[in-house]
Amino acid sequence: MMLSCDTIHFQYPGTTTQVFKDLNFQLKTTGFHALFGSSGVGKTTLARMISGQMQGYTGSIHTNGAARILFTYNLERLPGWSSVKDHLDRNTPPERRGLLDDLIETFGLQNCLASRFAKLSLGQQNRTNLARYLLQDFDLLIMDESLANVDEVTKETIVLKMKALFPERGFLYISHSVAEVAKFCEAIVVLRSHRKSPQAIVLRGQNHREGRELDTESYEQTMLEMVNAL
Amino acid sequence: MLSRRIYQFFIIYFIGLAILLLFKFSLNLSDYVIPGPEEILKTGRRYSGQYFVAVLDTMMVAILGHFLSIILATMVGIIGRLHFWIGSFIRVAAFNIQAYPIVAVAPIIFILLGDGLSSRLLIAAMICYFPLLLSIIGVLTEPVTEIEHFFESTRRMNWRLQVRIRAFENIQKLITVIVGSATLAMVGTIVAEFIAADAGIGYSIRIALFQSDLAKILIALFFIGLCTSLYLVSLEWIGRRVKKRWE
Repeated sequence: MMLSCDTIHFQYPGTTTQVFKDLNFQLKTTGFHALFGSSGVGKTTLARMISGQMQGYTGSIHTNGAARILFTYNLERLPGWSSVKDHLDRNTPPERRGLLDDLIETFGLQNCLASRFAKLSLGQQNRTNLARYLLQDFDLLIMDESLANVDEVTKETIVLKMKALFPERGFLYISHSVAEVAKFCEAIVVLRSHRKSPQAIVLRGQNHREGRELDTESYEQTMLEMVNAL
Repeated sequence: MLSRRIYQFFIIYFIGLAILLLFKFSLNLSDYVIPGPEEILKTGRRYSGQYFVAVLDTMMVAILGHFLSIILATMVGIIGRLHFWIGSFIRVAAFNIQAYPIVAVAPIIFILLGDGLSSRLLIAAMICYFPLLLSIIGVLTEPVTEIEHFFESTRRMNWRLQVRIRAFENIQKLITVIVGSATLAMVGTIVAEFIAADAGIGYSIRIALFQSDLAKILIALFFIGLCTSLYLVSLEWIGRRVKKRWE
């Protein structure tokens, strides 16, 4: 069992609105999974709870076999005093220099290396930020809209490369895009309003990989299930 | 080319002087109360050298006090940003002490340390220290989450990196506070000299005040304003260089 959330109850202090009410779900294996749901339903809150950055909830979260959990989101920035290359070099363990070069090529970051982070486009910033996280030690990486503002083709290249490079790692991809979640993810945790029971439903995605044909009919079925589950 | 700050000083100074002379001539006040333009010029020619040296003396003390304050406020600010009891203690102490007018403590300093350099320096440093400290603590305690998150998550964060990130993100604010506190350092030194020192332009103003010589005071004010403006211009220039180098 990679991730298990058992009877989670949570509401922000000073508010009366409950975010999670008896939330339960399990992700049994590592792989590229998704956390999907309407805006404001609590995806980021749950991501912060899983990564240990947020307390104050009741119930339990088990991350067996995922000791090192990283959480990244799309508004993160790199320090502005050095170039992207300097920053990546400084924060890459020596044994992963080869991986760094590989990610720079796959993520299309060659032209960004000499620039300061603030000078990059939003898509370039998100790609750079995600690349630096992939160079770290992690068992589970939670990516909150980490590929926002990235074009579809590049996004597909990146996700497929990530799946190929890290088959033993866990990913929890947070996105509002029904199409990409249905296509790339293995298990899809659909998070719903606390008024609905159960609050989370786990669906099976297409888990599309490099060199594997996408079953269009099944893909459309998954998208339909996702939308109906909301 | 003169900086905008110097132009502004000249404009303000001469507007002030013009208003004073307008009062004199419209109310027909005697030269004893407000000296005429000739008297001011004559005093200027006679005392410019002496007052310029006195202002430079004051300026040196103010700059030294200012730099001491910056260093001390940075060091205390770094400790004050901590979430432990020592950080909370420093923050609360700084907020409470800064609310107390430091000038009121100046006589005690003169009684204890005498009227030499050390008293002037201490008062100058104390007057600009607390505003600096509060601003630096404010900057250093405010997390820049979107940058720090990565370093916290990957356990790379240390106090030097945290201070660097927060200082870098607020560099303009810090420069503004340092430039602003320079005026306070100058004010502090002059006030100290005015109370009980034996040198500096504050001391010269005190003597002029005893003589009821407004012309001397106006000349002293001219050099104070000019030198303070030059110091502020220099600090702004250093600030721009630092910012440019960091960015």
